[in-house]
Amino acid sequence: MKSRSGRLALTALAVLLGFLVVVQLRSQASAGGLENLSAADLTTLIANLNTRNEQLAAEQAALRSRLTELRAAGTQHERLVTAIRDELERMRRWAGVDPVVGRGVRIVVDGPIGANGVNDLINELRSAGAEAIAVEGVRITASDVVADLPDGLAVEDIALAPPFTIWAVGNPPVLTASLTRVGGIIGRIQVSQPLVSIAVEPQALVDIPATRHPTGPRFGQPRL
Amino acid sequence: MTVGRFDLRWRRPAGWQVTLAAALLGLGFLVAVQLQSQGPRARYTSQERPPLVATALELSDRQAGLKASIAELRSEIQQLESAVAEDDVAVSTLNESLVEARIAAGLVDLAGPGVALQFDDAHGPLPAGANASDYRVQAEDLRDLLSALWLGGAEAIAINGERVTIATAVIDIGGTVLVNSAYLAPPYVITAIGGDDLYERLTGSDALRSLLDGRVVPFALDLRAGPLDEVDVPAYAGNVRLVEARPVPTATPAVPGTEP
Repeated sequence: MKSRSGRLALTALAVLLGFLVVVQLRSQASAGGLENLSAADLTTLIANLNTRNEQLAAEQAALRSRLTELRAAGTQHERLVTAIRDELERMRRWAGVDPVVGRGVRIVVDGPIGANGVNDLINELRSAGAEAIAVEGVRITASDVVADLPDGLAVEDIALAPPFTIWAVGNPPVLTASLTRVGGIIGRIQVSQPLVSIAVEPQALVDIPATRHPTGPRFGQPRL
Repeated sequence: MTVGRFDLRWRRPAGWQVTLAAALLGLGFLVAVQLQSQGPRARYTSQERPPLVATALELSDRQAGLKASIAELRSEIQQLESAVAEDDVAVSTLNESLVEARIAAGLVDLAGPGVALQFDDAHGPLPAGANASDYRVQAEDLRDLLSALWLGGAEAIAINGERVTIATAVIDIGGTVLVNSAYLAPPYVITAIGGDDLYERLTGSDALRSLLDGRVVPFALDLRAGPLDEVDVPAYAGNVRLVEARPVPTATPAVPGTEP
């Protein structure tokens, strides 16, 4: 093509093609499957995202204030030590390195429940905002899961013979409502395993021990 | 006044004409695909759903922004603490303990030997009368895979970049999966750090066998895994929420350097 206008037309066409390819790819990727959800599911998803974003915004505000506090402390030794010590204490409680106490729930599980059922209960407690969980005196960290062994259930090296108890620290009404709602986790377990009974009781004071296993990585290198 | 004349004799098309024709064909195809892909969505979302989808996407974007900001603030705080610790022995000791606690909590990136897995929905047409959700990776499938990894000796795991922590829940909402309340879409990429034998322990485990026999094989889910000399598991960028959990009153200091 020799004419200048012809080259321009072809260039414009190439640009338009590129634009359409991008639009098409983006339109397929952007909703990421959300368009398949029902209005009710979308509403639940939005409620979850809203709650989470409020919590994240609170964390962001707390971190900003901590940064300001650290900067203000400057070289004032006592203020600095207090600020770091408070953060250390909070982090160890959250990570399961230290024991904690607080309001919560007691869940007594009886009958032939499988490991997946117990792990699902733990997952539901986390989803409802439980801040610390223990199963028969074993603090449940990220890596602690209940296992199905040939002779029964176990968590860490503790055998779980029904009836056994799960303790959780968190808002008692919220935890109880989340576990016992119609169509919730307990209902689903009892439909698939009718001989299992699960009783939830709010508690004014729950003691959760520290984890007994080392919490530092053996193979992973921290990237600080 | 001149009048243009048309030459109706057949001539071999020039190279640029062929290129232009091919480009126009491509353009037409893309326009058609674009219009078709918008069609069904526009039809069924004609009432309440488009604003809901848009709101969910907006909130997801906001969540990503908040997490990025939190990660940045944590890094700034850590740098400040380390800088102060250089000149102060007491602060330095406390700071080392704080870094250890943050590593235990999953607030620090880790890299090390482990495995990478990809878990995706079934591909291709479904059998007649099949329940479509059975052929999608569900939260329970991911939870079972996490259990198999932890029992196989994993020490740190992330799903699509979301670090699995002590507070992480993996839940279904409709056909979607939330991890740390972040909306994730398949394929799910799971990275896990463990010993050199993590892959062997995982693939030889009863927990994985049960997932394969119960879900992956019967519903043609796409699960792939391989060992890697180094995988990255990013830090948790969410909130550390402690409202009810208080320290246990103790006669001995729980935290190094604290007064009883």
